Amino acid sequence: MATVRFEGAGKRFGGVDALVDLHLDIEDGELAVLVGPSGSGKTTALRLLAGLESITSGHVWIGDKQVDALPPRDRDIAMVFQDYALYPQMTVYKNLAFGLRMRKVAPGDIDGQVLTAAKTLGLEDLLERRPRELSGGQRQRVALGRALVRQPQVFLMDEPLSNLDAKLRTQTRVEIARIQREFGITTVYVTHDQIEAMTLGRRVAVMRDGRLQQFDSPKGLYDRPANLFVASFIGSPAMNITEGSLEHAGDGLAIAFGDHRLAVGRPESRPDDGIGAYAGRKVLLGIRPEAMADASLALGTPEDRRMTVRVELREDVGSDVYAYFEGGPPVSNPGLAESPTGDDDEAGGNRRRTFVARLSPQSKAREGDAIQIAINDRALFFFDPDTGVRIG
Amino acid sequence: MTGRGDRAVNYVILASFSLIALYPVAGIVLAAFQPPGSAAGGFSLPSELHLANFAEAWTQGHFASYLRSSLIVAVSVVFVSTLVSIMSGYAFGTMTFAGNKVLFYLFLLGLMVPLEGLVIPLYFDLRALSLTDTYWALILPQIGLSVAFGTFWMRAFFLATPRSLIEAAAIDGARRWSILWRVLVPFARPAVLTMMVLIFMWTWNEFLLALVMVSSESLRTAPLGLAFFQGQHVSDVRLLAAGAVIVALPVVVVYIFLQRHFIRGMISGSVVG
Amino acid sequence: MVRSTASAPATVRTTWSAARARTRADAAPGERRSAAYLYILPALAFYGLFVLAPFGHSIALSFFDYDGISPGSWIGLANYKELLADSQTRGAFVHALVLVVFYAALPVAIGLLLAASLSRTRVRGLAWFRTVLFLPQIIPLVVVAVIWRYIYAPGEGPLNEALRATGLSGLARPWLGDFSWALPAVGIVGTWVQYGLCMVLFIAGVQKIPTSLYDAARVDGAGALNEFLAVTLPNLRNEIAVALTLTIIASLRNFDLIYLTTQGGPGNATSVPAFEVYNQAFEVGRVGFASAIGVTLALIIFAITIGVNRIAEARS
Repeated sequence: MATVRFEGAGKRFGGVDALVDLHLDIEDGELAVLVGPSGSGKTTALRLLAGLESITSGHVWIGDKQVDALPPRDRDIAMVFQDYALYPQMTVYKNLAFGLRMRKVAPGDIDGQVLTAAKTLGLEDLLERRPRELSGGQRQRVALGRALVRQPQVFLMDEPLSNLDAKLRTQTRVEIARIQREFGITTVYVTHDQIEAMTLGRRVAVMRDGRLQQFDSPKGLYDRPANLFVASFIGSPAMNITEGSLEHAGDGLAIAFGDHRLAVGRPESRPDDGIGAYAGRKVLLGIRPEAMADASLALGTPEDRRMTVRVELREDVGSDVYAYFEGGPPVSNPGLAESPTGDDDEAGGNRRRTFVARLSPQSKAREGDAIQIAINDRALFFFDPDTGVRIG
Repeated sequence: MTGRGDRAVNYVILASFSLIALYPVAGIVLAAFQPPGSAAGGFSLPSELHLANFAEAWTQGHFASYLRSSLIVAVSVVFVSTLVSIMSGYAFGTMTFAGNKVLFYLFLLGLMVPLEGLVIPLYFDLRALSLTDTYWALILPQIGLSVAFGTFWMRAFFLATPRSLIEAAAIDGARRWSILWRVLVPFARPAVLTMMVLIFMWTWNEFLLALVMVSSESLRTAPLGLAFFQGQHVSDVRLLAAGAVIVALPVVVVYIFLQRHFIRGMISGSVVG
Repeated sequence: MVRSTASAPATVRTTWSAARARTRADAAPGERRSAAYLYILPALAFYGLFVLAPFGHSIALSFFDYDGISPGSWIGLANYKELLADSQTRGAFVHALVLVVFYAALPVAIGLLLAASLSRTRVRGLAWFRTVLFLPQIIPLVVVAVIWRYIYAPGEGPLNEALRATGLSGLARPWLGDFSWALPAVGIVGTWVQYGLCMVLFIAGVQKIPTSLYDAARVDGAGALNEFLAVTLPNLRNEIAVALTLTIIASLRNFDLIYLTTQGGPGNATSVPAFEVYNQAFEVGRVGFASAIGVTLALIIFAITIGVNRIAEARS
């Protein structure tokens, strides 16, 4: 049983806390992803699990063994590094065999195991080559092979795809997923790319500044983000965030922001979570670009779920149309994730001025047009302006 | 105003200074081939290539013995210093332990201490142990001096090695000793070779230590032998030249084959560390 | 031969940050810190026994009046006082200063000349030139001494021969035996040995300077001299520091050359501290005094290495 558990794990370097109070339970055979911006503690957590750093508080368990004090070689783990870390002077064969030789596996068995791993990864023809003769993608496969050949209890992967070009990245990602499923080895995977995280992980741990924000399935992170950070980190393009006031409207609620006012529905996935308590107060509103539609193509949308806007910019990428418009007052909140596309204003960092909507390619909205955007009222997210915690 | 003119100036400067560097060396090599009795002074082309000078210097000057001594000392120093420096450089460059900084600065001192500041007490101490006039008196101090350089050199190399390589080996099950010799040293071959080549040169060329420590003829190293030879043959330049060529040849040969290592090693300056 | 490399000065600078980074992290699990000491032990043993201890012993000896045979007597700083006061020993240090000009200043100037020229256009076949230029550094100093002693030979030495052949026989003289010319003659040998090092160092340095800096200077209207002063020189600061350190140290450690060419003579015209260390200890029999000279020499070298580096560090 190779489960992985972090129990209040923490790591302090000098005066800096790289990881604080991490509680995480990863199931046997699960591919769990740790994702977050740099400095989030994800790599630190991985290195604690690997035994490359000593833990300063809490414990780490692999299976039913507490491994805090064990050196890496006694933990029965294997790791794939971002820069592959292949042994430069050894052939691919020797690279794969090294770990087995170190563990005094019988020479006859070594050969069999190396060839099996080579076959799984399509490395049979490369066995006599040296790493410097291989392409990036080939090197990464050798690194995977080296980890696989020892059939460890846990796979650790530290941003293995970051050094590959986009196309290779997708290919290798699929490969990794396939191998993980085929061999059923518990895997802890670290990345800063949320798309990688969402496609690979059975569950994903979003981290920031050394703390765990949320550990959930991709759908859970998407539908039920725990806070502003998770909501704005997951999803591309990022969620539109603005500030508004929650008001009573008839026997329900409405949110007023900028020049707009929308009815607030009661989504099934998030039944009454206490949003009512915020009526009459300022809250942070989040709407995903994909929750917006061109109203002219969504006939029948009631008035209180429409926004009238002037299109500032239209981007047509063939499969979608992105429309940019003024949504509501810009928000500068430390809880926000930094926009990966860099559409922040200069000084404030986390400000969002322009909304972006992902419209159907059939949309005829042009720049300068005044159009109506239909909002799915069950797709509104609300956050406490002080804590960033999701309130509705 | 770049172009032809500038390039020509470059070549002129490079060529003339190269010539100046080469001329005395070439001159003495030519002198070594002069047949006896040729009254020609200065550097001149020999009328014939009189190889017997070398044979004469070899036997008359006992250079065979001198070369053997130099070889014994140089090989011992290079071998031991290399092994020992790899180990200490590895520790300083990859391990955490108390006094890492302080101890390393201690070694750095050794890079600056001149032999002139050590040779006197070394003589008296070794004499007290009856070790003067033995190979030990030449080998042991030079190992001491060489490991100061070697430690610094290998430490710099190991510091620059990607951490992930060492970590991958650790995860694969290798202990520190195995990581060093099975993973890192094969990777470090050029750096180790440079270190060996430099230590060889410094040891081969060492004169003061030999002069102070050695009195018996059978232990004389090549530079010391040449000095004595000069004392006996001041007027007969062809034999002296032959002796000089014999003494310099091993180092120069190694240099020609491995010059990249020599030069890179000696001027690695700001690149290192 | 200087048993140090250009890297030595640079490390004084870079070891600070590197060492700090290493000691900040604590050991990984399972790593027994004490094992590290075992790896260092052999090196430390050789180094401690045969370098550190003797140096300490040197310092100790320098406070004694000792002739190498009968027990010595404590005289405190008397040796050092004599060092500073005695005109003969002072003379040795003055000679060393003169040789610094030949060993360091001249070669660096020659190297900079080449650097200035090279900075304007690149040259092919540099590798070959480098090999030849560096040759004097490789050859045992003993051989260098033999070569130049012959060159300077009064009778058939190439130098005098050439002077006679070109009708300048009035200038021919016993160079190494001449009271005024012996020191410069030795100095020239030093220049010959060291300029290749400087040239090779500066060639490497100049190649690292991005051509865009020169383009910018040219656009600003800088002529050749200004280009040199504004772009080449500042960017060669590290290399110049390294060159100065190595060459100055070489000028102080020239025992081999002096011993085999002039033995400090004629008279005391070419006495230098390195030779005096040997001379005073083993010929004259004043071991304590010799040790004091040796220690002083070491201290000067420390001061120069650290000093030159501080200056380079401060400016860069």
